[in-house]
Amino acid sequence: MAFTFSGGIHIDGCKSTRKIPIENMPAPEFVALPLQQHIGAPVKAIVAPGDKVKIGQIIAKNDNALSCPVHASISGTVEKIELRNSYNGIGKTEYIIIKNDGLDEICDSIKPLQKKVTDLTCDEIVDIVQNAGISGMGGATFPAYAKIQSAVGKAQEIIINCAECEPFITANHRLLLEHPMDVINGAKILLIALGVNKATFAIEDNKKNAAKVLEELIGDDNMLSVKLLKTKYPQGDERQIVYALNHIEIPTGKLPADVGCVIFNAETCAAIYHAVVDGMPLVSRIVTVDGDCITNSKNLRIPLGTSYSDVVKYCGGIKGTLSKVINGGPMMGTAQWDLEGTVTKGTSALLFFSSKYEKNTEPCCIHCGKCVSVCPMHLEPLYLSLFSKASEFEKCLDYNIMSCMECGSCAYICPGNVPIVQYIREAKDKIKAKNQK
Amino acid sequence: MDFLKVSSSPHMRHEDSTKVIMLDVIIALCPALIWAIHIFGGRALILTLVSVASSVFFEFIYRIFAKKSVTVGDFSAAVTGMLLAFTLPVSVPLWIPVLGSFFAIVIVKQLYGGLGKNIVNPALAARVFLFLAFPTEMATYTKPFAKLPLFSTPDITNPDIVASATPLANINAGNFAALDTVDLLFGNTAGCIGEVSALLLIIGGVYLFVRKIITWHIPVSFLATVAVVSYITGADPVQSVICHLLSGGLIIGAFFMATDYVTSPVSSKGRIIYGIGCGLITMFIRLCGGYPEGVSFAILVMNCLAWYIDKFTRPKVFGGGKKNEKK
Repeated sequence: MAFTFSGGIHIDGCKSTRKIPIENMPAPEFVALPLQQHIGAPVKAIVAPGDKVKIGQIIAKNDNALSCPVHASISGTVEKIELRNSYNGIGKTEYIIIKNDGLDEICDSIKPLQKKVTDLTCDEIVDIVQNAGISGMGGATFPAYAKIQSAVGKAQEIIINCAECEPFITANHRLLLEHPMDVINGAKILLIALGVNKATFAIEDNKKNAAKVLEELIGDDNMLSVKLLKTKYPQGDERQIVYALNHIEIPTGKLPADVGCVIFNAETCAAIYHAVVDGMPLVSRIVTVDGDCITNSKNLRIPLGTSYSDVVKYCGGIKGTLSKVINGGPMMGTAQWDLEGTVTKGTSALLFFSSKYEKNTEPCCIHCGKCVSVCPMHLEPLYLSLFSKASEFEKCLDYNIMSCMECGSCAYICPGNVPIVQYIREAKDKIKAKNQK
Repeated sequence: MDFLKVSSSPHMRHEDSTKVIMLDVIIALCPALIWAIHIFGGRALILTLVSVASSVFFEFIYRIFAKKSVTVGDFSAAVTGMLLAFTLPVSVPLWIPVLGSFFAIVIVKQLYGGLGKNIVNPALAARVFLFLAFPTEMATYTKPFAKLPLFSTPDITNPDIVASATPLANINAGNFAALDTVDLLFGNTAGCIGEVSALLLIIGGVYLFVRKIITWHIPVSFLATVAVVSYITGADPVQSVICHLLSGGLIIGAFFMATDYVTSPVSSKGRIIYGIGCGLITMFIRLCGGYPEGVSFAILVMNCLAWYIDKFTRPKVFGGGKKNEKK
């Protein structure tokens, strides 16, 4: 039996890349690393143009605020530091641009762990994870060290999120098939850090082969278990996963830790494993490159900071009429201005779409209630967008607009083609701006 | 390179559009239409075509005059036209559906802002308007298989073609003996063009349900309420239930009119309340009112309440909602 939540949408997975093994993309000539790839405060550059850097060397950090340091993902020379459009479409961010020297030198400070993993204390693990610059790699990019810290003493169960419910993305699926021990060992390190004895791998039932691999490797380890989730979007959302597994609704405004759970993405676990055991910080990640406008769809391990145009070149170029480039999945990812953007810690996929996935009819709400039936947070999206359009922000609040996680199920299902999420975002932004005054 | 399109997520949309939904409704109504042509003759088709064509025409003309985008491509006007025709007796003159379409499309729908903004169901409001304005034409029913002229107005005083009473009138008079359940089910009775065959309408309704155009809530709660009330009040409860369920506009009302998205509530709870309301008012009018049929009035009354029902049947927010919102 597979676990699930109420609401949500059944959506064509489009996971044609599920059988394509992960390939290591060679380091490009230049990388551009944004100084904000995580939720929290931006980091500050500690290198200057002309400096030599090696792979894994910290090039930007901010010790005084919630943040993740940024490491050089290639070896070479810092070319310049400049402001560019930020990848999430909000304002501008500083980027450090490094020119590749082709030597692939690894920073001297990177050494394998000198003692047994089981001897590590929580603080030591938190330190390592913090210095390795790991943020949540499912897309939300919350700093992983802060998540561990906030869950210590509260969480009794670790959930490893292998749901990967967004269409097209198969990066986690490939990771679990090809490097399952990285994820399992990462989970074990988290068990040590949090001092708990229960970790659950939650995986959608469209990845049964990966679930089987995990089950075989776990064997009779009774701290770890695998649970199948129904394939339904947005099954990978924290609140829905906790509800599916434990039938607990996380109260509005609270975190999973408040109900005794903490959730880490599968790739985050693998990154934690590499950081702790190999000493390797987060300098690359697995990205599914797909869409109907890319010549060769691939699963790639890409050095952070690699530009989309380099990825496109490596994947055989664009075919057809490119309309949209999406950083992330098609449901929650961000459409990009141009191909100059770069792969960041939260880039689980790069999708190159023609206009075939869109509707172009004039938006018109026909009050059909489909958005209400699919909303995983049990809101009434049609009224939220109606009130937002009318600038009735008090009413938006009354209809719990802040509970919306912008999963996009409502706008996906809407036969009237209303950009519901856009209206909701507008209202949320205005409400937040008003609250800050 | 051309500019890339930048828009808010999600970047994928379900392929069903308003147009697809409206087409599905038209498909679901087709079995009943074919049956109508079979028992009422070609005139049933002519009336339906006139009604659809004039609805689309008025929508088109209004949108042009109002300098708004032309929306006839979403087929909602065609559905309104079809539903309106289905609620007319086959003997009405051809100008009746034209006038009804004008009332439905221009006055009830477009003047309120067009699709999605109207308060009551356009086809039903037009039917009631015609019913009150032209009681003779709208309340005269012909016998099944009576030979009617295709275009000219039939002589509704000719006792050879005019039915003595509709099933509902018989029920109203307590004359259950005149009713044949099988005839009611298959539609071998006098009545409006599209309402006679309960079976084919139910098949259409099931099609809409399978295609996920409608949910079970409104039809089931509507029909169940009618069944319960007729069971309680009937002298012969079982026969009363069967006759009430299968006669008049109840089936077409429950599956096709009350489920109209625009004028019904959005939440499951709201839809059940709405269906029960429709059922109660229908039975109240059928049992106590001066008209034999109450479905149209019942749905129109509940239409007016739909947005209020929405307001009081909001789903419980996941995690409890705003009371915990202050951080």
